[in-house]
Formats: sequence, structure tokens, C-alpha cells
Amino acid sequence: MDKVIGDAKKAFITGNETVAWAALAAGAEVMFGYPITPQNEVMHYWTRMAPKYNREFLQTEDEISAGFTVCGAVQSGKKAFTATAGPGNVLMQEPFGMAEAMRLPLVAVIQQRGGPSSGTVVYSQQEVTLTTFGGNGEGMRIVYSTATHQEIYDYTIKAFNVAWKHRFPTFVLGDGYQAKMREPMEMYDPIDKGIEMVAPYPLIGLGGEIGVDREPAHLCNIYSLEEELYEVVLKHAAEYEALSPSIVEWTEGECEDADIIILSHGVVSRAADDAVKALRAQGIKASYFRPITLRPFPQQALRDAIARSGAKKLLVAESAYGQLERLTRQEIYGETIKIETLFKPGVGIIDNDIINKVKSVL
Amino acid sequence: MKVIGFSRQDSFGLGETGAMLNPKARWVLRHEGDIIMDIGYGVHGARTLNLVEGADESPELKVLAVVNYTRPMTNSPERVVDYLQGLGRVDGIIANTHLGDETTLEIICQGNRMIRDTVRQLGMEVIYAAVDQKLAKAIIPGECEIPIKYIHRYMPSAIW
Repeated sequence: MDKVIGDAKKAFITGNETVAWAALAAGAEVMFGYPITPQNEVMHYWTRMAPKYNREFLQTEDEISAGFTVCGAVQSGKKAFTATAGPGNVLMQEPFGMAEAMRLPLVAVIQQRGGPSSGTVVYSQQEVTLTTFGGNGEGMRIVYSTATHQEIYDYTIKAFNVAWKHRFPTFVLGDGYQAKMREPMEMYDPIDKGIEMVAPYPLIGLGGEIGVDREPAHLCNIYSLEEELYEVVLKHAAEYEALSPSIVEWTEGECEDADIIILSHGVVSRAADDAVKALRAQGIKASYFRPITLRPFPQQALRDAIARSGAKKLLVAESAYGQLERLTRQEIYGETIKIETLFKPGVGIIDNDIINKVKSVL
Repeated sequence: MKVIGFSRQDSFGLGETGAMLNPKARWVLRHEGDIIMDIGYGVHGARTLNLVEGADESPELKVLAVVNYTRPMTNSPERVVDYLQGLGRVDGIIANTHLGDETTLEIICQGNRMIRDTVRQLGMEVIYAAVDQKLAKAIIPGECEIPIKYIHRYMPSAIW
């Protein structure tokens, strides 16, 4: 496949366009999509560039179909992806569930919008629960929550590799702000950074004789026996749990000695970072912890940060009504640190919001 | 300056179905005086002129394409040519090379020179370069070899 980017270069670009370029650079062969704000430009830019790089696109009749066509494409050995938001994410939980059950290397970019709603096109962080544990499965997914356009680029490329290497559906969780705003970032071809792209391979139509040359592929998401479902889920869970320590990602700052840890994800973590700097400058011992993977959640790293910092309070700041907080409580169950909250569903959080909240709870 | 556009009250609550054409915008070329139409954002910006009555017939209308050499769609001579040829009618170019808060004079001048040299091959000229007013003191007159209009960025910290 021809290089798309050439020499690494800085670009001033929207988040959606970043996704399209990153998918091209990652060698994605086909996108299946359906329009929904605020991710439409992912499709627009992909369809504009796809012919030049011999890639494909199909707009399906709805998001359910878009998700399932990705499931089909990856089974045939194509690197495929989709992008959606809000009610589209709700609809895609059925194919995402299939991808979990059948261990399909599906890649999806989610640009969060306000909910619950079928028409609220404002920014939010209200699709955490849906993206991490949606569908009727056990949430065995990999979810990267990006905060910058550079991360959108980096993690979109990584998502393809992680999905194809480990065969869990992999998500890049952005939001309406990241989708639409422009900022500088560096585009590059992964090979030039020493990133080896995992080659896709067909999961069906394999050669050889079953039982002689190979085991059956056994791509299945329908079970007639309870015990069979039990065995499969436990097997997948064991693999997911064994994989988790090697793929969790997080960032933290000033956690060596703190009175309060500010926990946030995605674009809100930019405000948290600024808030910690400002608070420290005022003599307030604040620190921050930002999970980059929401699934698997870096729960041990957070437990370690709590222990190391000596902090008495954990402030969860999110543009939702507790989705990150519930996830955090679940993951650090047993920790006795008091959890404070700054919930602003659908509303952006700036550093002053966090600073004022910290001062009010300390 | 009179702004022709829907007020928030006019378009509130329309959500994703709110993309309407303001009738005053449709007939804007019938207005007296100087008119600036800001058309853009997204991949079909130039075709929006199809919605403006008289756009094809107006002898006064000039279609100026804004080009930023740091945008991936226009970051090489080939891509600039592709982009401009895809727009349809273009009467002139506004060079708008910048990298947001990471903009330097070098980025501006290098990018805008590339734009100028490329569009000359298409028989077009760069009408002017738009440069953030903050860089005004750093620019040596004639350094970028393109006339400059300084722009003042309002709400530079706004995310949306």
C-alpha cells in the first residue's frame, strides 16, 4: 500500500479530518458509514480521499447496517472501520456486540454528543457507558478516550493494530468538540515512526481441512446451550483480563504528594491539567489522573496513585452525569478515598470550573 | 456592518435539521453596497454558491478561495491544484497559511510562497495574505512578498 502522508508534517485540522487521514495512514481499506452529527466529516473526507488511494466506502441504510457491514468486511480480511455518535452509537451496539462475541477486529470512532436523545447535537461525554459496556455482552472492548487531535491520529492508527492483534472491538472515543475544532498536530506514516502495522487476514473461507489441517474458525454469536455460552464467555474474559495490563494507558501528574486527585478523561483532561498547574501555583496540592483506556480501565494505576499521593479526595470531573464516576467506583471498589463530583452533562468544563470546585471541597 | 444570517432565535431547536437557507442570503447579490459572503467549512463550500441567486450572472462577484498550506488537503502543489480545480470558479486566492497557536512567520511565508507559485501556474494571483495581527510587528515589509491584511482573532480560546 502506498504511503499516504510522506514526510511527517504539521497540519491544522479538525478532529474528524484527522480520523480520516489516520485511517488512511493505518491502511484501512474500507469505511462503512451513515451520517450523523458530529462525525459526518469523517465520512466526507474519507470519501473524498478514498478514490485517490484505492480505498472504498459504502453508505449503508442505517447505523445497524454500517456496524454489521464492518463485521462482515473484517471477517473477509479487510481492515474496516466506521464512525458514529449518539443514537448511531446506540444502534451500533448490536453489531458491536457481535464483534465482541465473535472476536472481530472492528474499529469504530465515536464522537460523543448529548443524550439521552435522538437529536441533541451538542458536545458531551455521555457515551462512556454505552461505548464501554453497551450491548448485551460483558464489555470486552478496548476503548481509547482521546483529548487532542494528535491523540486522535495516534490512537486511530493504534486502534487498527490493537483490534487486529488481539481481536477485540476497539474504539476511539472523541466528542463533538474534538470532532469540529481545529488545532495543530503532526501527521506521519506509521512506518516512519517504527510502528509495524498488523496485516489483516481473513477469518473465514480459510484453506485446509478442519480437524486435519486446522481447528474450526468457529465465529459464532449464537449459542443453544447455556454451558457453551458460559465456556466461551469465560474464555474470552480470561484472554481479556490477561491482555489488560499490557494495553491499559493513563497519564498522571503531581501524584507524589497531593490532597486531591482530579480524575477526568478526554477533552476535559486538558482543563484538569491546566487546573492542577494553577492550583499548585496557589499552593493547593492538586494532582490529576487521566485514564486513556476506559476499557480496560487502569484501575491498578489509579489505586497506586491514590496510595502514593496520600490524597483524601478524588474529584471526578466529566461532561456527563456520573458515567465516568460510576466506572471509576466500579474499578476501584474498596478504596476509601472520598469521591467528589463535578458533573456538567452536555457542557464543556474549563479549568476555572475545576479550580472553583476543588476550592469548595477542600 | 450588516450581518445577514439567521439569529439564534430563528434557528433554535432545529438540531440536525436546521440547515436552512436564509432567503435574504439567497438574494444577497441584489443588495446595495459591498457584500462579503463567507462560504466554507466542510468539503462542499464553493458549491454553496449555487444557492445564491445571480451568482453566475453577477459581473461584480469575485470568488476568492482561501488556502492554508498547513491543511492536509492543500499542503503540496499537487493538492493545491486538485483543491482549486475541484472548487469550480475561482477568481483569486487569499493565502491563509497558519498553524493556529503554533504559527510562526516562517510557516506563513513558506506556505504562502508555495501557494503563490502554485496558483500562478493556474493563471491566478494571490490577492492578499491574512496574518494574525499579533505577528504584525515581526513582519518585515515585503518579506513574504505578498500583500498582507492583518486579522484580529476574536474569541481565540473558544473551542467550538
